[in-house]
Parts: sequence; C-alpha cells; structure tokens
Amino acid sequence: MISFRPTEEEQAFCEVAKTIADEELRPSAHDCEQHRFVSASIVKRLHELGFLGLELPESWGGLELPLISQAQIWQVLSYGDLGIVQGLPGPGEVASLMRQTPDHPIWQSYREAGQTGMWPTVAFIDGEETIDVRRGRDGYRLNGTSVPVRRAAFADWVVVAAKDGGGEPVIFVFDERTWETVEGDFRLGLLAAGLGRIRFSEVFASTGRMLARGEEASTLLGHARARQCVLEAAKEVGLMEAALSYTIEYTAGRKAFGQEIAKFQGVSFTVAEMAFECRGARNIAWAAACRVDEQGRTAEGFAWRALARAHRSVRYVTDQAVQMLGGHGYVQEYPAEKWMRDAQAQVLLYARETDWFIRRGEQLLDERKERVAP
Amino acid sequence: MISFTLSPQQKQIKELVHWFAKHEVRPLALEADRLGRVPEEWLQKVNKMGIQLNTSSFGGGRSAPATEQKPEKKEREGNRVAVIAAEELAWGCPAITLSLPGPGLGGPPIQSSGTPEQKQRFLSIFTKDEPRWGAYALTEPEAGSDASGIRTTARKVDGGYVLNGQKIFITNGARASWVVVFATVDPKLGRAGHRAFVVEKGTPGFSAARTVHKMGLRANETAELVFEDCFVPAENLLGGEELYSAAAHQPSGFQVAMKTFDSTRPIVAAMAVGIARAAYEYTLEVVKREYPKQGRLYYEAAELLAEAEQEIDAARLLTWEAAWKGDIGEANAMEAAICKAVAGKMALRVCAMCLELLGPVGLDGHLVEKLYRDVKVFDIFEGTQQIQRLVTARRLYAPYGVHV
Repeated sequence: MISFRPTEEEQAFCEVAKTIADEELRPSAHDCEQHRFVSASIVKRLHELGFLGLELPESWGGLELPLISQAQIWQVLSYGDLGIVQGLPGPGEVASLMRQTPDHPIWQSYREAGQTGMWPTVAFIDGEETIDVRRGRDGYRLNGTSVPVRRAAFADWVVVAAKDGGGEPVIFVFDERTWETVEGDFRLGLLAAGLGRIRFSEVFASTGRMLARGEEASTLLGHARARQCVLEAAKEVGLMEAALSYTIEYTAGRKAFGQEIAKFQGVSFTVAEMAFECRGARNIAWAAACRVDEQGRTAEGFAWRALARAHRSVRYVTDQAVQMLGGHGYVQEYPAEKWMRDAQAQVLLYARETDWFIRRGEQLLDERKERVAP
Repeated sequence: MISFTLSPQQKQIKELVHWFAKHEVRPLALEADRLGRVPEEWLQKVNKMGIQLNTSSFGGGRSAPATEQKPEKKEREGNRVAVIAAEELAWGCPAITLSLPGPGLGGPPIQSSGTPEQKQRFLSIFTKDEPRWGAYALTEPEAGSDASGIRTTARKVDGGYVLNGQKIFITNGARASWVVVFATVDPKLGRAGHRAFVVEKGTPGFSAARTVHKMGLRANETAELVFEDCFVPAENLLGGEELYSAAAHQPSGFQVAMKTFDSTRPIVAAMAVGIARAAYEYTLEVVKREYPKQGRLYYEAAELLAEAEQEIDAARLLTWEAAWKGDIGEANAMEAAICKAVAGKMALRVCAMCLELLGPVGLDGHLVEKLYRDVKVFDIFEGTQQIQRLVTARRLYAPYGVHV
C-alpha cells in the first residue's frame, strides 16, 4: 500500500525532535559554529532522549529503529542545524557496522562505556585511497593521512575501512589514541563538526583489531554505507527545508517597489521551485530508506542515488535562499549564508554527486534481469 | 505507515495494464503517429476488451465487480490506481492512450458535480458494443490558464440555455458523444457566473470547426469547437440549477473546473512519467547493446542514465503523494501542482537526454524522437509549469496572508 503517513510513534518522536530543533539547536547554531563544538547541554539532552543511539542494537540499549524512522528524525533535527547534528558525539556512521555485528568482541568496551554513560565518539575513515595497509608477521601496519572527516577533532575511537596490500577489503577498529589528528584550516561550513584529518604513522594493528576481512568486510561495508547514505540524504533534506521555510517567511514580509517581494513572479516561482526540490529529494530519500530496510545491501543503488539527489537539491535550495534574501542573505546576521556554507561542506564530505550517479549508472548497465518499475 | 510497496490490487492492475500497453499499444505507436490517427478497427477491438480511458477510475476494464462491490470495507485507492495505470498506458504510447474510448477528462466533473440522473445518462453510454468518447472544453482563444477569463456565453431561455462561443485544443472533441463545456451566464460576474454544461453531439449549433496539427500526439484528435445559438436543455446544466441557486457561496463552474484538475493533474503527471520511463528504458537497452564497456562515453552514459532514473522515480513519487492525499480525502491542490510541474519538465529533459545518448541515429525511426515530440505538451496542457508554480507559491504563502 502506497502511503506517506508516518506511524504514531514516528510522529511522536518527530514532535520531540522538532521542539528540540526549534528551541535548542536553531538558537545555538551560531554559537556552536563560533566555538567549533556542540555545547554540553545539547549533547546531554539528546543523549537522554535516545537520539544518539537510534541505529544501535537494542541489546546494547540502543533503539535499533528502522531506517525510515531514523530518516524522519534526522531530517527534523537537521532542520534545527546540520552543523550541530554532524558534531554530535556517539557512534555516527559506524553505528551501522555495529548494528550488523552486535556480538563481536571488538565492540565490548564500547558497549560497556555506552551503557554506563555517553556513547564514545567514533570517527569513520573510508581509507581505500588514503590509508596504506601492509600485512606483517604479527598483524598489519597502517600508514597514511585521511581526507577530512567529521569528529576527527574529538574522536575517542577510529574505524578504518581500507584495502590491504593484496587488494583485500579490511576493517580496523582502534580504541586507543594510536592515531594523530591533523588540524586544518576549515572555514567553509559544518564548523561544529570537528573536521580534521587523521594520520597513521607506522601504526601496528593486530588481528584482534580487525572487525572483518575479505568478502565479509565488503558485505558489512556495503550494507553500512547504504544505510548511512540514506541518513545523510535525510539530514540534507532537513537543511533544505529550513532554508525553504525561512525564505518563504522572509519574502512574505520584505518589501520592494511598494509590495512584498513574494508577489513578484521572479521570487514566487523560485520559491515554488525550491519546494519542488525539497519534496522530490525527501521522497527519494524515504523510498530509499524503505528499500534498504526491506532488502539490505542489495538496495544500495537506491541509497546512492538518494544521496546524489539530496546533494543537488540542497545546493540549489540553499543557494536560492541566499539569493532571495538579497544582501541580507550574504551577511552573517541572517542564517541563510551559514546554510549555504554548511550545505556545500556536507556535499564535499560525502562524495561527489557525479560519483554517486556514475556508480548507480554502472549498476543499471550491469543489470541482467529485465527491470520493471517499482 | 510510510510505504512505497504496491497493494495487491495496485500490483495486479499495474501488471495488467502494462501487459496491454506492451502488447497492444506499443506495437502500434510509431504507425499511428505516421498515420495521424488510431485505426478504427484497433479502437473497436480494445473497446470490446473493455479498455476505456476513464480518468475517474482506471480499472483496466470494467471486469472488476468484486472490487467495486465492497468500497466501504477498504481504504480508497482509486487515485493511486489511476496514476499507476496512467503511467503504464503512456509508457505504451501517450497519443494512443488519450485516444482510448471513454469519458476522458469529461469524466471527473460529471462524477464530482453531476446529479445522479446526469451521471447515469452520460456515464453509462461507455459500453463494449461501440467505442464512444467524452470530452472537456475549457480553453478558449482568449482564455487558457486563466480559466476565469471564459467568454463563451450561456443565455438563459425557456427550458434551458443558449450557448455562443468557441473552444480550442479539445481532446477527442470532434468525435465525442458529449462535451463538458464551461461558459458564463454573465462575464461581469467573473467566476461566479461560470456554469458547466454537457453538450451532446448533434445538438444544433454545435460543431467541430477543424482538427489541428500538432508537434506530437499526432494520433490523437485535437479539435476546435464552435457554439452558434446552441440550445442546451436545462437538464444538461451540470449539477442542475439547485447547485447554483441557493447562494453566492455555492460552487461556480470555475470551481467545478478547478476541482477537476486536482484529480487529473496527477494523472497527466503520471503519463509524463510513463513517457520518460519509456525513453529511458529504450535508451538503456541501446547503450547496453551498442556502447563500449569502458572509456569516457561509457561513464558519461552511466551518469546520465542514473540521473534520468532518479528523476523519473522522484517524479513518480510526487504523483503518488498527490494521489494518496486525494484518496484519503485531504486537500491536494498543491501536491497536484507540484507533481505536474516537476513531471512535465523532467520528462522533456529525460527524452532530450536519451536522444543525446542515441546520437544522430536517434533521428531515424527511433521511438524516442516521437516521445520527445509527444512529451512537450505534458508541460502545457492542464496548466503550464508556470501556472503550477503559481498555484504552489500561493499555497506556500497563504499562512503569511500574502496573495501572490
């Protein structure tokens, strides 16, 4: 049955999230950006309400929600501020690996730490092209510096997905500071997210630090990536919805040539187009969430294209928000310029739109069975 | 719960309609375009199969009494079924689809505003013995998107009304057994003066002036209609006099016309989605067969095809959302406008992109060039994308008391 109606639980959860977004995240966005971290009071509140463990296994005390529920919640929180959302502590992207391997001994101390206090912060590195992994006699040796990732500045744990010297996928988990954080010159956006590079210099990793290798690692990663692509797309939808609703309100009140600028078609049509993009990106993200919930990794192509679409839409909508506010859009007293900066930073962190579409396109061209529309 | 899985009924209808589109409609598409019409014998055949274009209730035929007999037991899904079926039919060929017998766009206003007697009289003629059509006549030489600018007049006389005026761009207008015609009893009253009439074929003073030639949809008839001292009996006033007499607050013909669009815009949008999907799937197969498996062309094609696929699905979901709102009884004018604007623009873009992937060979006898010619009007009729943006913007600004 085709339906766009959230469940009562989802509605209730999103109402709480909306209150937090409006009353705590939005008002704190500027300060958190200036200070470059998320304030402790916000973190405490979100942790108490379970927002930092939405993806974590129930056996750990997490909520283990379906992806479609999480997508709605992150969308609403990101409406408050995406910079804060991306700077929150906790498992982050790695939660999707944890969800698939809840009983793996490598997570034991993480699980125990979370059950007695705050979930430790994990930074995730997709290091296939940046981290060199060599197999030695007793284990592996890692060298290299990652591209900028979020929460590098305050990570308690680091998880690295890479390929070893023989081209085999491998996932390492580090819970002690064997890495070095390289500070950078970050000015564009998501400044509360603790952006930074992580460097490994001749770091030794025993096989006890390995979560998975080979086909198992590939499967785990594929599934986790699909889930995380959907959630990142949903966050981007939240950001663009913030820009849209603010722009509608602003243009309804601002006057030029004796009337509200909303009455000029150059403005009202652009705002309509912004709404089209928001709605289109949201539906594609929600559909991808349902697909991945049902089909797991085999639905990864839908997750990729959802993120590609969100990338395009969030840049369009936030750019138009600045444009519609005119000079006010450009100055930092108004939120629109921050949203535009955050949007572009987000797009850079999560791969290029073109890359996602090419991957999906290769998948389509490789399909053997006759494809029927959903 | 939020779900994008088809219900068993939706799935069954989709498969049935797709089969028909693939085996009966698609094979005729290029030939019908060349002929400029759908062959009479084909129309006779499908009419006997029970296939009719009824935008009120796509049923893949009228052989679904079990479903129709228990509507109160389940959630209404007629609008969702309609957009699903419309997409599949248009995938086969949009021009042939619009030429299928049935009430067409004339169905919704009779269904929503007609008296029980009118519904019986006008909607029961669509039977298997002979193909028949209905039509919807709103647009005039001086009144397109501004439906409130109607100039066709309806002068009250004993026993009915006398209509004078002209209607253009009327699908199936010349062969329709009846046409829903929008006219005004007093141009000075604006919208409040509008009335909807059902004018039957053969009525003295009612004629089809000519059939126009178009860029695409060439197999589908588009007529200009003329009303010269055309007497229409009072019982053909849609909804009857009672609908208009009580007070000025009662719905006008304008509202009858606009109400139609909330249910039909998603269907037109779904047809645009079907056209785009047809172009995409056709081109995907050509690229698979004939493009090199690596290199620049391959990656460019991969990216473009993935973009097209995502755009098609995004537009489809917008039509489903508008249809879903219609089914649950919520106002869906904004969603109807959004899906119409997005799908209309997307479909042309996808067809153009597919032609680009086909290259010069696309000029010669390939389905996609026909689809490119057909699809443009889906961003025009039932409201241009500019009008859809205006409708959307009005809804977005309504909470702030700004009327754009």
